[in-house]
Amino acid sequence: MALLKDPPSGVEIDMNKISSNLSEWIVDVTGAAGTNYEGETFQLQFKFGPRYPFDSPQVLFIGSNIPVHPHVYSNGHICLSILTDDWSPALSVQSVCLSIVSMLSSCKEKKRPPDNAFYVKTCSKNPKKTRWWYHGKF
Amino acid sequence: MASAASPGDEGGASGGGSDKAEPGTSADNSSTGAFECNICLDTAKDAVVSMCGHLFCWPCLHQWLETRPNRQLCPVCKAGISKDKVIPLYGRGSTNQQDPRDKIPPRPQGQRSEPETNTNFPGFGFADAGFQMSFGIGAFPFGFFASTFTNGNNLNTGRPPAPAPGTPQFQEDQFLNKIFLWVAMLFIFWLLIA
Ligand SMILES: [Zn+2]
Ligand SMILES: [Zn+2]
Repeated sequence: MALLKDPPSGVEIDMNKISSNLSEWIVDVTGAAGTNYEGETFQLQFKFGPRYPFDSPQVLFIGSNIPVHPHVYSNGHICLSILTDDWSPALSVQSVCLSIVSMLSSCKEKKRPPDNAFYVKTCSKNPKKTRWWYHGKF
Repeated sequence: MASAASPGDEGGASGGGSDKAEPGTSADNSSTGAFECNICLDTAKDAVVSMCGHLFCWPCLHQWLETRPNRQLCPVCKAGISKDKVIPLYGRGSTNQQDPRDKIPPRPQGQRSEPETNTNFPGFGFADAGFQMSFGIGAFPFGFFASTFTNGNNLNTGRPPAPAPGTPQFQEDQFLNKIFLWVAMLFIFWLLIA
């Protein structure tokens, strides 16, 4: 709930789009100034399961504007290790949003993942069911 | 499969666990925030503190440790952590000086099968089907064997007694047994060369 009181810049919660049982949130994020996504607005959907916070929420981009990014598939799925393997129950919605914004900010070239077409065709609706193959350090 | 990066590629997020993953302190306006559990964000009850200095309710921390028994990390700073390396905290007001770790913490909901974290390769449906199919065929000849063996010796109790030698039924049985045996052999041979 800290996020409701004091959202960090570029992260905004749409109160109308929080489901009545709080298990589904829509968060608006805006691309940071000085990055490839400056001025763009995106919608993130959070779905919290019964085991939250011990289990990570399901997080994906929704809406008409899905950021073009090497780790974001055109169906909104995000390949980010903290959303699965590196999840920690101390992570808040706010820190997840910040991680995603900083992931966008660090992008040098706006392009889809190389396997986007294949993945979008074959993946589950729930990105958490994807066994992501994280590059970089674990 | 999917190409990806941990958020730490750019030093942006992975190392940042400690500075931004503290919801209790980042946006709180009361002094009690310092004693909030890092998991449930409530005032820690049955409080324990890790060697890295992070405060949790013991039930919360226990459930987290159970969630990933082979990768026990501090939720806040990812330091290694274990039941033996957390210190219970007893405030003055606390009447109950029992070590919270000795209490049975609220159990995680039964034996959780973990459908969410399954290794669910999109393309693995075929492999699954293939495995089950070959298993089915593999088990086939043994079924035949079992039946021929139990027919062969007369110790079978559940079945009707084997017909007496010389009767046409006996010969029929022998014939069937032979056929089954051959079919079974063929199956095994086929399995070997397949
Ligand atoms: Zn707690
Ligand atoms: Zn720690």
